[in-house]
Amino acid sequence: MAYLRMRGITKMYPENNVLANAEVDFEVRRNEIHALVGENGAGKSTLMKILYGLERPDRGGIELEGRPVHIGSPLEAGRLGIGMVHQHFRLIPDFTIAENVVLGVEPVRRGLFLDREKAQASVRAVIQEYGFSIDPSLRVRELTVGQMQVVEIIKILYRRAQLLILDEPTSVLTAQQIQKLFLTLRHLRDIGKTVIIITHKLGEVKEISERVTVMRAGRVVAVRDTAEVDERELSRLMVGKAASLQVRREPAARGRAVLELRQVCLLGRGQDHPLLDRVDLTVHAGELVGVAGVGGNGLAELEDVVSGLRRVSSGRILHDGQEITRLDARELRRRGLAYVPADRLHRGSSLTSSVMENMIIASHHRFLRGGVLRRRQAEGFASRLAERFSIEGDPRVPIGTLSGGNIQKVILARELASRTDFILFSEPTWGLDVASSEFIYERIMEIRGQGLAILLLSSNLDEILSLADTLVVMYRGRVVARLANSGAVSKELVGEYMLGLKEDRP
Amino acid sequence: MKRWSRWRELLAGTAGLSVTLGLSFLIAVALILLLSKQPLATIRWFFIGPFTNKYYLGNMLNTAVPLVFTGLGIAVAFKSSVFNLGGEGQVYSGALVTTVICLALPAANGYGGGLASLAGAMACGAVLAGLSGLLKMKWGTDELISTFLISSAVGFIVNYFITGPLDDPANNLLASYAIAPQYFLAGIFPPSRLNVSAGFAVLAAAAVFFLLNYTHTGYEMRMCGLNREFSRYGGINVSAYVVLPLVLSGALHGLAGGLAVLGTQHMAVKDFSFGMGWNGIAVSLIAKNNPLAVVPAAVFFAWLEAGAKAAMLHSDVTFEIAAIVQSVIFYLVTAQALYGALRRRKVRL
Ligand SMILES: Nc1ncnc2c1ncn2[C@@H]1O[C@H](COP(=O)(O)OP(=O)(O)OP(=O)(O)O)[C@@H](O)[C@H]1O
Ligand SMILES: [Mg+2]
Repeated sequence: MAYLRMRGITKMYPENNVLANAEVDFEVRRNEIHALVGENGAGKSTLMKILYGLERPDRGGIELEGRPVHIGSPLEAGRLGIGMVHQHFRLIPDFTIAENVVLGVEPVRRGLFLDREKAQASVRAVIQEYGFSIDPSLRVRELTVGQMQVVEIIKILYRRAQLLILDEPTSVLTAQQIQKLFLTLRHLRDIGKTVIIITHKLGEVKEISERVTVMRAGRVVAVRDTAEVDERELSRLMVGKAASLQVRREPAARGRAVLELRQVCLLGRGQDHPLLDRVDLTVHAGELVGVAGVGGNGLAELEDVVSGLRRVSSGRILHDGQEITRLDARELRRRGLAYVPADRLHRGSSLTSSVMENMIIASHHRFLRGGVLRRRQAEGFASRLAERFSIEGDPRVPIGTLSGGNIQKVILARELASRTDFILFSEPTWGLDVASSEFIYERIMEIRGQGLAILLLSSNLDEILSLADTLVVMYRGRVVARLANSGAVSKELVGEYMLGLKEDRP
Repeated sequence: MKRWSRWRELLAGTAGLSVTLGLSFLIAVALILLLSKQPLATIRWFFIGPFTNKYYLGNMLNTAVPLVFTGLGIAVAFKSSVFNLGGEGQVYSGALVTTVICLALPAANGYGGGLASLAGAMACGAVLAGLSGLLKMKWGTDELISTFLISSAVGFIVNYFITGPLDDPANNLLASYAIAPQYFLAGIFPPSRLNVSAGFAVLAAAAVFFLLNYTHTGYEMRMCGLNREFSRYGGINVSAYVVLPLVLSGALHGLAGGLAVLGTQHMAVKDFSFGMGWNGIAVSLIAKNNPLAVVPAAVFFAWLEAGAKAAMLHSDVTFEIAAIVQSVIFYLVTAQALYGALRRRKVRL
């Protein structure tokens, strides 16, 4: 018998008249790990938000253990034992991990005050119980995206949820972290919990799930036992054709040094070891340098420093041989930097602004006549980009109403279209479906062929290994390896560098 | 977005406001029934009084004029996510500067001198508010506090001039000498005090609307207001957009004061700006910071005030009762607008 049954769920967003779910039937058995897959914008997040009480369906009902239930809010979902980790984090940066985890269910002292000690202790217990290794007294602001994901999971485990919904939990995790997460999920299943997991990586579907539901354009198009489908078939069900993540990397002529970091150091406030420790890095024209590292080892800081959003403590940064160490983001943009940030929701976009307004943030000077913004032209520009990158939706709607993958596509489209000679990518394909990722890889290879210098920061090793000409590994703020990606470099080898088991010191 | 759904959204917003309005009117009527011995007359004067003759109607609209300017000043700042709580002082000092310039040039041409005096008022407001912007840019001083403090201090200085060196001993008011008649703005609805500054107010609303929505500067201001990190990332000079919105806001406030002198008072009157700055905030809230909606919102405000006055004059209502009824409507409407504003802050994904 089905543990959870959603029947005839229909949801139309009135803001843009998008039919996100159409007569969706969705069933999950007790004690199973159930994968939910589909292209960007297929309606997966919407369905899960309905289950979690964040959105109200126009029609349709939910049954839990055979009983019809009404889920009007996340609070009610929580009472029914349903917990959700969102595609985008909902943590408070200035709170500690423990405070974030207990938020809403805080242990209190004398009926009023937050009992910090107890909160920390109980969170620490949950962390240990599930085999995570993270210090609950750290502030979320100091964490990497990977660690934030872990905190989100701890948060629902802390609430003792029976049904766990994970919306793209693996996108930001490294291979090892994903393995750890899967161990946790299997363990949770073994002790009687039920898990729904959304992912774009079909390999993960095969690896972790027992059954899989495929959505396309707001409808369920297939439900299968995972053992009976292969990745090709899944991808055919999702998009109507088989897609594979194959990138052709043709040898490119390496040109002049475009970006150089020389002995760059970044000291953190109150930290004993530097966040960036004498980093040397050179990116040439027509070269893609991929930087790999486990979260917390300096990638995020490298991103901030190279994009001009954070000043280095010492060392120099050069662009075409000229000093740019002290320039801010604005001046770097003027010099031709394009940048796709890992934090797409706060840094990469302005959620309540229209897609058009998001598209022109760095290029609105091109649409001016006598100080007046020519909306027509800007909207035309946005429409053309949206079409080229197959982003659904009118450019006049707020970007926050797009699906997670489509928001990312807007950011990528904008940055790839800007006229530059140097581009920084951080986690570019996080949240993209297979076809979109493939499309983005092709565009990246295209601009590399045009002689752009490209720096790619990614926790996805496959991505780096298939795209990069030069591979750099960071560990504890230091560059511990610099390898030419000849095809002989193995994932295992890079993994050893990433974990600090191996180190080349120049 | 399809056109009709945008209309529907607008309608939904208006519907919420109408419900609140209806409700607050019901409460107001109930209060009047309770407190007044001749409730029918009171209700009539309160709600319809301002429309019963040209004099009342014109004066009501004239009261709305400075509120349009202060409302616009607040909207410009809010749209950029900076706050200006110093409106009172900026209006007040603008009025003083206009008066001083007109008094210093008693024989100048009406147009040239008038323009110079308004420019002075705007510059004064702009400098006062812009100072808070600079403080924030240089040292991160919270503009919420600095605008208020600077404005309060300036209030005392203006008081000193009006009651001291500029005080006209010939009149019994706490007010300065009167400016020369060639500076008076032409009346447009006699016998009321309504004058051409009402036209300026409508023009100003249109200009601010255009600035925010159709210009480069407006785009950058709005982007900074919505997401500063994103704007910085995108290459916008974000620190400039702490100062500029405050400068504009201050200039609009100063202009409100200057026009009040040229159009209505013809002198600087002590404490005349009392409440104008705060009411500007409420007007902007009700208008959801939309410059075009600021005009009707300001008229709504002026209507409440004129109604209360009319009821006091023609019925048995005391000042206190009129004030209570007025504030019930005022607070309910403002609370509804504030609630909406806060809810829109919450980002949905
Ligand atoms: N808050 C919203 N307001 C309006 N439209 C929305 C909103 N959220 C989602 N949509 C629309 O509903 C459709 C489905 O979106 P949803 O987020 O469910 O997709 P998804 O399958 O999770 O995609 P992704 O893999 O990109 O995250 C999209 O077309 C999207 O634009
Ligand atoms: Mg989604």
